[in-house]
Amino acid sequence: MVSQRHDVTLEWPDADRETRTIAVGEDETVLEAAERADIALPFGCRTGACGTCTGRLLEVDGAEPAAGDDERGTVEIDGAFSYRRSPRALKDRHRTAGYVLLCIASPRADCRIAVGASVHTELVDNPWK
Amino acid sequence: MSDVNAPSDVEPDHEHDHHEGPGYATPQAAIEEGEREELAYVMSLYVGTDVDAPDFVAVVDLDPDSETYCEIVDRIELPNRGDELHHFGWNACSSSCHMEGLERRHLIVPGQRSSRIHVIDAKDRRNPELETVIEPEEVFEYDLSAPHTVHCIPDGEILISMLGDADGELPGGFLELNDDFEIEGRWEPPGEVEMNYDYWYQPRQNVMVSSEWAAPKTYYPGFDLEDVEAGNYGQRLHFWDWEAGTVEQTIDLGEEGLIPLEVRFLHTPESTHGFVGAALSSNIFHFWRDGESGEYRAEKVIDFESREHDDWDMPVPALPTDILISMDDRYLFGSNWLHGDVWMYDISDPSNPRRADSLSVGGTFGEVQEVQGRELSAGPQMIQLSLDGERLYWTTSLFSSWDEQFYPEEGERGSVMLKADVDPRKGTMELDEDFLVDWGECPEGPARAHEIRWPDGDCTSDVWQ
Repeated sequence: MVSQRHDVTLEWPDADRETRTIAVGEDETVLEAAERADIALPFGCRTGACGTCTGRLLEVDGAEPAAGDDERGTVEIDGAFSYRRSPRALKDRHRTAGYVLLCIASPRADCRIAVGASVHTELVDNPWK
Repeated sequence: MSDVNAPSDVEPDHEHDHHEGPGYATPQAAIEEGEREELAYVMSLYVGTDVDAPDFVAVVDLDPDSETYCEIVDRIELPNRGDELHHFGWNACSSSCHMEGLERRHLIVPGQRSSRIHVIDAKDRRNPELETVIEPEEVFEYDLSAPHTVHCIPDGEILISMLGDADGELPGGFLELNDDFEIEGRWEPPGEVEMNYDYWYQPRQNVMVSSEWAAPKTYYPGFDLEDVEAGNYGQRLHFWDWEAGTVEQTIDLGEEGLIPLEVRFLHTPESTHGFVGAALSSNIFHFWRDGESGEYRAEKVIDFESREHDDWDMPVPALPTDILISMDDRYLFGSNWLHGDVWMYDISDPSNPRRADSLSVGGTFGEVQEVQGRELSAGPQMIQLSLDGERLYWTTSLFSSWDEQFYPEEGERGSVMLKADVDPRKGTMELDEDFLVDWGECPEGPARAHEIRWPDGDCTSDVWQ
């Protein structure tokens, strides 16, 4: 049985790299599909604990994503991906802001994601500066 | 293959005239017999950047008479990306000094993020080769992850502190490898500690001490003050029965002891004194066994004050992230990564450390901000001292995600390794401006650099029975 695939568009916000769209099956992670397409994304633990692979959801099915408590009627972030394991590296504030762990996330809709090394650095700031 | 070629009985009375194993008979023998370091092995990493290359072990030429002095002369590339090389250690050190046939030959190099453990054969000191890889799935089977400190156990086995369970949550523990570099199992009964980080053992005193960082899922993504307020960071020292592998005593260092990281006993095997750096509280604690009660005690002995900076909203903490003790047990050296200092304290009276000297270089306040025209992106971090105590070296990366928060240029420009000349008789240090190793010039792109080791033992590798 062939699993359903979704078009996932990868954008590098802080790097001069061409946007790429890959077909990602519902039974594979975005990271696995990117590796299959020979696209190097950052990663670390590959289990959802470290956050190195973090992406930021920009668009789901052509609409800007909204968190679950938003009543604008757009697609919920949580509906865009299914996680293999619990995304331990992300706090609730990260999940509502659209951050996704690409090493354990499989798409449930077509979407556009900000990827690359600059995205995981958005999770925390220098708390004293 | 095993590094134990012929089994032998450990000398029960520990006489030094039967010294056949690896390392040196005593710390003083290491000073006298150890040759000047001509090579360094340095953990080098690309994890978390857009450089499409695996982390590597750099072999750095430290011989001033060599044409390739201050250059990375070999790179042992690892098979996978994403490891985050961090700390590493030898299969054998001076603690195995009566294990005839055992050699200091294999480097055990864990991936902090990947939980993958690499074994590198350094028989050819200049061109070491990757020998064996223990894959993360094998490690997770023991419900452990995030390997950190590596020490050998005197009988040829290897002990690694593990900071998390298989999910990157608590508790952590200890993983034991046998002398064929296969997982032997968990060293301790699970649940003896919740948090884990660094450890050191003093076999003659039958004691091991371990410190605390946090759960991997807490520190991996970066430093979040919310986690400090929630109590998700460590502040305890654990004193273990070394033979039994059980915690005998835990000392809560309190608010002044937040995030106790590198922990070191004095080298002399008779001593029960040691030091630990509480990185977040920016204090150094002295610990020792109280003769009357037989219990260990810990007391703050050095306090680095936070400093105001125009560009910062809050006073900048010093963040002493690494410490080491000179082989003669005379000085405690350390680095204040955020301020940009390396320092040496006289610890001949360990309860009353006396500041001997310091250098202000790199970091937020460093008086020296470039060496040979190379701008410094971060403060001094991992330090290593020559066996004779006359040369102190350091690198500048702490941890990939924490670097990004405090020194974002470190990843863009790469790390550097710097050196100071030390006069251990006068207690002074001087920056050697002729010395610079630049990870910004690596062929695949700028890399970070972390822990440093010498090929034949150093001040943070060797323990004596």
